[in-house]
Amino acid sequence: MADFQLVHRPAVHEAFASSAGAVTLQPLPEGRVIQVLGKPAGDDLRQILTEFAGTGPHGLRSAGPGQWFIVGDSPMTHDEFQAMAAKLAQHAFLVDQSHGRVRVGLKGTRIVDVLAKGTGVDLDRVAVGESAMTLVGHISVHLTRLAPDAIELMVLRGFAESLWDDLVRMSREFA
Amino acid sequence: MASLVPCPHCGSRPKEEFTVKGAALPRPAPDAGEQVWMDYVYLRDNPRGRYEEFWHHTSGCRRWLVVTRDTATHEIEASRDVAFGTSPEARA
Ligand SMILES: [Zn+2]
Repeated sequence: MADFQLVHRPAVHEAFASSAGAVTLQPLPEGRVIQVLGKPAGDDLRQILTEFAGTGPHGLRSAGPGQWFIVGDSPMTHDEFQAMAAKLAQHAFLVDQSHGRVRVGLKGTRIVDVLAKGTGVDLDRVAVGESAMTLVGHISVHLTRLAPDAIELMVLRGFAESLWDDLVRMSREFA
Repeated sequence: MASLVPCPHCGSRPKEEFTVKGAALPRPAPDAGEQVWMDYVYLRDNPRGRYEEFWHHTSGCRRWLVVTRDTATHEIEASRDVAFGTSPEARA
């Protein structure tokens, strides 16, 4: 246990919404983000990991061969994390990234047009539930399509504000 | 340089997501001797035409790939994962 109190401050402060629902940017709850690194030459863990994926939409997200993120809005205690890590020990290594990565939700009819200014991923080919690791501008993000008009970006905490400012600027055309 | 690179895991992505690490040459044996290692590390041909290079998908899936590229036209023919010997190729 640390002998001093950590002060929690949100990485991104306010939401941004353009008129008529073209683009809405929303900081998402800083709940849980667990990085899963499959052991080399291991089995496909998707089936095994599904039971840990939580209740949020698309709680289990691929992040390249043998890598996943388990995400959710509710925080995880240290004991819960340890229990999960123990259960998965023979298949994968887990890294608690809950305080290291921030999620931003994009909703609206023009979000693909906004993101197309910053990423090389063909978003029309990213189906609901699918994810991609990519760049938005120079910032590395993990991108997931939650619905036809909703995309979530996950970014390293230190880059969150910079990405947010970029997204706001990219969205202004549709204000 | 080609601006779109096909990744067998991620699909077609801009070259900015990748780091290029030079010719995909067979690595000498650990005890191959100083001269062989010297050549492998420092002496490289600069061929014109079809060429295999190591590319790292740094800002994507973070896998090492072998990309077949034509050094004269910059056209990319294919890419494959280095470690997964039988993994599907991605064609440009
Ligand atoms: Zn890739």
